[in-house]
Amino acid sequence: MLTSLYVEGRSWFHRVPVRAKLIALLALSIALFTTNSALLLLPAFLLSGGLYFSLGLTLRQAFARVGFVFFTILVLAAVNLFLVPLPQVVALVLRLMALVFFAAAVTATSTIGAFMDEVTFLLRPFERLGLLRAADVSLALGLVLRFVPDIFARYQAISEAHRARGLPIRPLTIIGPLIILTLKDADTIAAAIDARGFRRQ
Amino acid sequence: MSTRDLVLIALFAAIVVVLGFIPPITLGFIPVPITAQSMGVMLAGCIIGARRGALSFLLFALLVALGLPVLSGGRGGLAIFAGPSGGFILGWVVAAYVTGLVAERIIRPGISEGRQFIGFFLASVVGGILVLYAIGVPWLSAVTGTPLLAAATGSLAFIPGDLLKAAIATLAARAVYAGYPLLPARA
Repeated sequence: MLTSLYVEGRSWFHRVPVRAKLIALLALSIALFTTNSALLLLPAFLLSGGLYFSLGLTLRQAFARVGFVFFTILVLAAVNLFLVPLPQVVALVLRLMALVFFAAAVTATSTIGAFMDEVTFLLRPFERLGLLRAADVSLALGLVLRFVPDIFARYQAISEAHRARGLPIRPLTIIGPLIILTLKDADTIAAAIDARGFRRQ
Repeated sequence: MSTRDLVLIALFAAIVVVLGFIPPITLGFIPVPITAQSMGVMLAGCIIGARRGALSFLLFALLVALGLPVLSGGRGGLAIFAGPSGGFILGWVVAAYVTGLVAERIIRPGISEGRQFIGFFLASVVGGILVLYAIGVPWLSAVTGTPLLAAATGSLAFIPGDLLKAAIATLAARAVYAGYPLLPARA
């Protein structure tokens, strides 16, 4: 049900370490916001776009992933046309689209496992301060992936119960039972985790 | 943090993912669609409280960043944070916290049903609307260069929908509070 947006592939960008890609994304987002010149932003846009489309996604998949964000950028640009000078609008569109392309490229070429390693690395200082434990973050993440299908099945069961009684399916009457039924499991799940000693308490 | 709190945080994040399967409605000319998922912020604060609610949405934001298509419409990935409405995703964390703070202050055992409704509604409006927009709109304005006043005026188109969401969240939160209260047991 939850398939990651990672795309299998062998491009050079797949082989770049995730940390380097994330640093590059951060650097790019800072760099692009320091300039308004289309002469600099246009090459950035073309390069990120070229990179994103060279990753082995079909054209359709590639557009589906960024389409919605592009739609919002274009709508805002249309509004901006009335409010700010044209060269600035062009710069904004190029900059945002370049960033979105690059960010989508990072997402498409990094596995969840590799990302989690980086998250664990970033959390290390907090762990040293005793604020949290990286293992807890991984555990929580695993629990979400494990329980989304269950909760979705429960949602469908409640919808069917509505249908069987001839009731309209409204969020209001579904959310209450869905949340109560789901959260009531918390004690059992917590007991199961502690019984297995996952958190070494 | 107790294991039970950890599990509640994870389960709530999973519920928010499932809320995303309800298709969003896009309104007018502002790039933030109305989703059942965005009701999750109000629900999280009102049902599991400030700290757990905020952590739940932090976990959810992590899922987005990791590239899981957990946002309504199957969206996800770092591109979302790079786009104009990235501030709203991060704003959810703070919004859930503030919603929880207000709900925890007002909702006490033994107060009348009417007060519970008022409390949950107030918490949802303050956290889920005021705080969320106070973060998301300036972010959008900074990223896209749309003047702040224009962005704020445009966002007004969402207020009726948001008030409706706050009302639904109030009724749902009150139903959960009556059936399985978690709010008094603070994390």
